Amino acid sequence: MNGNEDKSLVERCRKGDDDAWRELVDRFGPRVYSVAYHFTLKREDAEELSQEIFLKIFENLDRYDGGFPLIAWIVSISRNLCIDRYRRRKREKSFRFVSDDAVLPLLKSTDDPSAEALRKERTKMLFSALAEIPDDLAEILVLRDLDGLAYEEIGRALALPDGTVKSRLFRARAEVAKKIRERHESRGGNVLTSIAMAAGAFV
Amino acid sequence: MSCQELERLRGSGAPESERTAHRAACIACEAIGAGIDPIESLTAELVQPAWSASLRDALLAVPEKTVSCENAGLLIAARLEAETGEPFSGTAADRSRLDFHLSRCDGCREAWETLSGIPFLEAPRPAPWVAERLSAARPTRRRRRWMGILDPRAAIGFAYGAAVVVMLAGFNPADLARKAGANLRSETRTAAAAARGSLADRVGAFEDRTSRAFAVWRGRVGGYGRAALSNVIALVMRTEDTPPPSRPRNGEERAPQKNENENATPTWRA
Repeated sequence: MNGNEDKSLVERCRKGDDDAWRELVDRFGPRVYSVAYHFTLKREDAEELSQEIFLKIFENLDRYDGGFPLIAWIVSISRNLCIDRYRRRKREKSFRFVSDDAVLPLLKSTDDPSAEALRKERTKMLFSALAEIPDDLAEILVLRDLDGLAYEEIGRALALPDGTVKSRLFRARAEVAKKIRERHESRGGNVLTSIAMAAGAFV
Repeated sequence: MSCQELERLRGSGAPESERTAHRAACIACEAIGAGIDPIESLTAELVQPAWSASLRDALLAVPEKTVSCENAGLLIAARLEAETGEPFSGTAADRSRLDFHLSRCDGCREAWETLSGIPFLEAPRPAPWVAERLSAARPTRRRRRWMGILDPRAAIGFAYGAAVVVMLAGFNPADLARKAGANLRSETRTAAAAARGSLADRVGAFEDRTSRAFAVWRGRVGGYGRAALSNVIALVMRTEDTPPPSRPRNGEERAPQKNENENATPTWRA
């Protein structure tokens, strides 16, 4: 959908068109919920945050001028609210502990319990590592690899050039890999086995 | 330490074969790539969390809960009118939506509180000295009793009364008025000329006195100023020691010492 169609949809929403609002919710609701969930890792919090995001979107519809994709504008609002919540949560308690329940909605159900358990552990480790790296790196990785946004959409949402987005994404992945390797080392493995495990941890 | 070539290749979207070739040649990049690959494969496996139907319903109901900031301005105006006794132009739902919006939007709440507080503003009160000055500036002269004849109705009454008396005395008021008018014009002209001459005399005398006083003051001020200036110059130029003799410049000879005899004023005794 191009900028004109996005703007037309927003205009209809501003005029009180219920169908237009339903279209907007169905198009962007799952994406917004995904962003919120990846930041909170808790269903109740993500749902509350999603409602807050859509309230904000509705109240500020007149500020969207159609100059860039609507998804980038919505993600920008989502990201700002998520960061507020994320930082508050980080201050309240350590965000490094990731429960099983938190990652279950992100896993495909399979018939192989052992493989599922392994993926669950890896996913938990991934989110623990994400909580340890700098926020500006972690959010890029979440938006790109978990929420599936394009480089351009991330760049628009975060007001960054594409090159910076790519560079940060690379560094975010490298940092996460480093954190996972350090975690293996702290569990008692020697350096060589840690590197080997880090390299092959998800293979 | 990475050579950052792998990052560049990934950023530029280079084909997988090129990246693999570089990783085979660079140990550091191979280590980084080996760490990144499993993360990419893991994130690719993850699915997006499913949103619930209840959340969708809640999101669809958002327009029933709140209003946009642009509509909040209209509803604020309508509510302000309602507070002055006019009927509220919105619905009960509008009222609750506005309340909800005001509870969460700082800008609109600030606007509402500012506007709704206008009726409670105090009237401006002048400083105490203003009333005193105004009362002091008001003329306190009492209206005299005889000033009542200047009232237009009283003047008309007097005029009619005088005309009746004159008619009863056997005179024609119109003839009297013509004669009085003719005399009045000449007398008025004479009085005006006299007044004009008197005024010119007074103005001329005043100008004369003023110019004299101005000349005297200007002289005094100029005299004092010149005296002060000369004192300042004397203070600044006063030196205790005699200045050293001037040094000869290059190529010049020292100036000859002045001979007292040469400078002495010749007298009839010499």
